[in-house]
Amino acid sequence: MDRDLLRQSVSCHGPNLFSLLKCEQSENPDFKYVAADLAKSVNQRDKEDDSPVVEQFIARKADLLFAPSWKFTAPEEDDWQEATQELYAVIPPLEQFMDVPYEERRDIFYRDVERGDMVIGRITSIRDFGFFVSLICTAGGLERDIEDLEITGLCPIRDVPSSGNHDDPLSYFLIGDLIRAGVKDIDRYHEKLTISLYSSSLAPNFNKIKLGVISKEELPLHYIRGEKVASDSSETYERLLESSLGFSNPSNVDYLLGNLGIIDTKSPSLMRGLQSKHFKEDDFASAIRKKQSASWALKCVKAGVDHFKSGRHVEAMNEYNKALEIDTNNVEALVARGALYATKGSLVKAISDFELALDTCPTHRNAKKYLCQTLVERGGQLEEEEKLVTAEGLYKKAIALDNTFQEAEDALRKLQALIQKTLKRKAEEAAREEKPQATETSAEKLRKILREEKRRRSDSSSVTSSSSDSSSGDSMLSASRKKSKKRKHKRRRSSHSSKKRKRRVSSRDDRTTEDKEEHYPVPANTSASFINHKGALTKLIDEEGGDEDPRGSYGKNRAEDSRGRSEDYRPSRSPEADSGKGRWQFSDRPEDPVLTGVNGGEREAYRARRISDDSIRSHQEGSGSSRHAVSKMDFLSSAYSEHSLKLDGPMKDTSWQAASEERSEGGGRERKDRAREDCGSNRGADGKDRRLSSGDGNRASAGSQKKDLPANLLDIFNQIAEFEKERKQKK
Amino acid sequence: MEAARSAHVSGPREQRGEENADGKDSSNDAKTHFRVCRFIIETGVKLDMRSVPVATACALYHKFFQTASLQIFEPYLVAMSSIYLAGKVEEQHLRTRDIINVCHRYFHPGSDPLELDSKFWEMRDSIVQCELLILRQLNFQVSFEHPHKYLLHYLLSVRNLLNRHAWSRTPIAETAWALLKDSYHGPVCVHHRPQHLALAALYLAMHTYGVQVPGGEREWWQILCEDITRAQIEAIMTELLQLYDMEAKCT
Repeated sequence: MDRDLLRQSVSCHGPNLFSLLKCEQSENPDFKYVAADLAKSVNQRDKEDDSPVVEQFIARKADLLFAPSWKFTAPEEDDWQEATQELYAVIPPLEQFMDVPYEERRDIFYRDVERGDMVIGRITSIRDFGFFVSLICTAGGLERDIEDLEITGLCPIRDVPSSGNHDDPLSYFLIGDLIRAGVKDIDRYHEKLTISLYSSSLAPNFNKIKLGVISKEELPLHYIRGEKVASDSSETYERLLESSLGFSNPSNVDYLLGNLGIIDTKSPSLMRGLQSKHFKEDDFASAIRKKQSASWALKCVKAGVDHFKSGRHVEAMNEYNKALEIDTNNVEALVARGALYATKGSLVKAISDFELALDTCPTHRNAKKYLCQTLVERGGQLEEEEKLVTAEGLYKKAIALDNTFQEAEDALRKLQALIQKTLKRKAEEAAREEKPQATETSAEKLRKILREEKRRRSDSSSVTSSSSDSSSGDSMLSASRKKSKKRKHKRRRSSHSSKKRKRRVSSRDDRTTEDKEEHYPVPANTSASFINHKGALTKLIDEEGGDEDPRGSYGKNRAEDSRGRSEDYRPSRSPEADSGKGRWQFSDRPEDPVLTGVNGGEREAYRARRISDDSIRSHQEGSGSSRHAVSKMDFLSSAYSEHSLKLDGPMKDTSWQAASEERSEGGGRERKDRAREDCGSNRGADGKDRRLSSGDGNRASAGSQKKDLPANLLDIFNQIAEFEKERKQKK
Repeated sequence: MEAARSAHVSGPREQRGEENADGKDSSNDAKTHFRVCRFIIETGVKLDMRSVPVATACALYHKFFQTASLQIFEPYLVAMSSIYLAGKVEEQHLRTRDIINVCHRYFHPGSDPLELDSKFWEMRDSIVQCELLILRQLNFQVSFEHPHKYLLHYLLSVRNLLNRHAWSRTPIAETAWALLKDSYHGPVCVHHRPQHLALAALYLAMHTYGVQVPGGEREWWQILCEDITRAQIEAIMTELLQLYDMEAKCT
């Protein structure tokens, strides 16, 4: 029992209370301790009025009223803020209404004010050692009516923060300014107050409040209301209360309860029967609800299990879901549902249900058993899907759960053996693939750089243009090749230093000239040579299956390209043919005059398109299997189809388009069929070509460029044959 | 609610047929009302209700029986429905399932929770129908001005009058709040204005601890409520204290 409180009470009520207390609380052991002390203070009586009923009440309830646990602990001091919205009705201090006399108010002010309080005042005089402030009201938690008390405080100069520049900080202030300051020191005897403008002088919960000069709007609400009351004497407390906005706030009760430190749902009562110790935890609504939900859910689960046993899985699932709606995380329902999922084969869902059940109830036997089994089953599934590490994890988990589960251990051992094997294999493969992998990436970058440079130099001199042409042709060619070939090709490329393009070009030149010379004598007549050439070509292709392959084919293709190019231009530009002819032996050069004569812009566009198609093509074709002979034909046909597809774009002529569409169709077919069909289409196209070659010159400028890169060897050979004829004729 | 009748309302039910002095009847009624209000408040605690909805429930109950007769209406059912209605009025919605669970356990301590059977649905129906009955009996005026708001504001004002340390060691707020809540055991809440009730509770709390308040031209309680006299305060206080005496008699 709180001794001081009792003493206070007894001294207030007098000996009557004391005697009543003695009689009512005689059994109370706590009272006996304090009884002796109380006897001394009995004789002081402050109050005149007698209220025996109250005394009786106090006596009876003393054990509750004065118990130390009766008083709640003070609420946490949050950062105090000036109430911007009225959460409750703010009323001026009662002192004002009560008209408490001057002296009394002054006394209690000095009694109650403490260091760290906040006050607001007006500057009355500024001296060189500081300024004097006449307080007008208190701020923060304390609300007092002090305006007319003539309380002054001194703010010494050292407590005025400097404004930054080197002027006298006091020059910032004027007489009559409203200042908000913290109380730094109090001399109660001399009734002197020292205030400070540093926030360190304030209590910690006032941290956010700014000290210094304030405006009239920042004055606390209780002061403003107080002024109104002072001026208008008809304003009563009640009227003020009911008219203020905060009074109608529906949640002001909760807010104020928090402010005062009372917890609403747990607040004790003075009734004996309502003391908290009489309430059992089980009687509370939430506890009963949980038990009830569990029992209702269990009924549903039982019904569901019946359905399950009779094979009605759908109804069983419905019952389980109903049970889980009534009581989420019901252990039995989760286990039953998990079993149903496992039976149906949705192992992942089953595992999650079992795990949830085990979270709630870690000792559930069935859940553990089922979970082990399902984990092992799932592990088996994953093994088949080649996800060995995940499977291993699952087996380990199953063993951790139940180490007597033999199946899991067997499976784990088998799996670990398998993992070892695969790891070894992978290590070997990795060692093999390391080198090409490294080069591939750097080669990729290289190609990109090259392409960039090509584009930039496309408009420049013939040599560079031709070289870029050829290299772009190269890129196109390589793009349409298989990955392995590409790798080897790139390896080759990177092995010839990338920067020395001219050398490469010249090497290519060499190769092409070589190849040219190889092929040169071949095209004697048309049809027969057509067949022979094809055979020869395929033989050559086959021969160059190994390392030579890329180089040879590369060179050959280049040669064909260049030939094709020159050939393309031939039909269109018959007058220029001779000049073209004269120079077409050198792979790159003959193209130059022809090509340079053409609109550079169109070529650019075409090349750009080509390169973009390259990238598409490389994606499409990179993943094929390697079949050299067929691959060559495929490559050719695909290049042809590329070519024809490219032709699609800018083509305006419908007949030309039709022809190209046919060709593109041919290209669109299966790879295996491509070679065969393309031969046929080629033959058809050959005819068309011939027709076209004798046709419009209008299309020439547009069409000829597009025909820059014929992939059709047979066409090339035909054109070679024609050229030969002409040469012979010329001669 | 057969069980309820047998356990707690034996008094009035037995005497229904007999002729009794009015005093005894009314005192028995008062006891019944006390018990039922105790039931309401206890249920409120178990349902985690805030003070104001509990107060509304009790006020509804008292107001209902001002005009209705205990002989006709089953008080415990009215109590359950008034709890349900009060939850709606004061925005702390309660489920009938919870109310039924708690009440069932109140009358059958230690029993298992109810099953979802026809009995349960019947009870639910009766609560909902009784709710409509209460509404009609009260002319649909179910919002009350409670003293809680007033009490809290008065507490704030008084806190400013006192020294902060004196305030922090004297449990004035808790006592006043407990007194106010306990006052709902009886019809005090409907007989007096909320401001008066709040003031009386505060006055009693201040008086209990012998707190010193600065005096002035007028007393602090006179300021807080203009139209009250000391005698009135004392009358209310007496009524409040009688409730505590009744507790001894009833339970």
